[in-house]
Amino acid sequence: MADEGSTQEVRERLQLIESMIAEGRRQTERWGWTFLLWGIAFYVAMAWSWRGGVVSLWRSAAWAWPVTMVVACVLTVVIARWKGRAESITTAAVATGAIWICAGTSMLLVFPALGFSGRLDPHSFVALVGAILAIANGASGMIYKWRAQIACAVIWWATAVLACFGSAARATAVFLVAIFFCQILFGIYAMLLESRRGSRAGVARA
Amino acid sequence: MPELPELDPVIHGKLRLALLSLLAGVEAGEFTWLRARTGATDGNLGAQLLKLEEAGYVAVKKKFVKRKPQSVYRITEAGRTALAEYVRALKRLLGAAIDV
Repeated sequence: MADEGSTQEVRERLQLIESMIAEGRRQTERWGWTFLLWGIAFYVAMAWSWRGGVVSLWRSAAWAWPVTMVVACVLTVVIARWKGRAESITTAAVATGAIWICAGTSMLLVFPALGFSGRLDPHSFVALVGAILAIANGASGMIYKWRAQIACAVIWWATAVLACFGSAARATAVFLVAIFFCQILFGIYAMLLESRRGSRAGVARA
Repeated sequence: MPELPELDPVIHGKLRLALLSLLAGVEAGEFTWLRARTGATDGNLGAQLLKLEEAGYVAVKKKFVKRKPQSVYRITEAGRTALAEYVRALKRLLGAAIDV
């Protein structure tokens, strides 16, 4: 009987270790709002640079994208600081954070350089944005095994490819649709999931 | 009969085991997060974390965020090794019990 009891105790301890490690790995951070914020920022920049059905990237609209993107960056940092750090930092969160920071840095460096050198046109702009966002969404989606985000990556890849063909107006239209699904809708969906997860955690702790 | 392995007394306490396991799954965790996950009281949690810290199994970084004190804990390499050893010892114990 004593052996049975100690076997049970050992099993319980192994279960405790397993459940605690799994508990620790549960994502506690909330980043859905960033998708929504950047989706709105893209729309603001597009509305500002709108010239005859296409996104203009030079002349009178030259400042639309740099100004909007810098404002969005500042807002992201300010809101993230205001919301405070997550109570735990998972390895997956560090990895996805690194992916998004590098993707954002690439865009913030490459697009102004292309713009100032006069080598940026609506096709290459949408194709590059689509490709970079597809990489970031795809990698994050694979790390978290989140199908919705992998679907966003697929939409961005399709956007990147479609932007290479047809007129500039078509590339712009494809970009508008991708932003709606992958930034606005996905951002709202992620925020809803996060708020549900938050209320569940509250109940569990009570 | 195989010799039964000795279990590390520092990790053997249930709360300390839970804390070390939690920290094994993350890069770092705040005191408040550990408290919420384990349901321990502040006093007990602080005492057990101190024992783990003294054994060199966890490292703590204390700082002020928005004028509030914040303690962030991380598992050390020694802690990770000790936890892995402990799990191996438990599995050997379980194996020995089943063999009997």
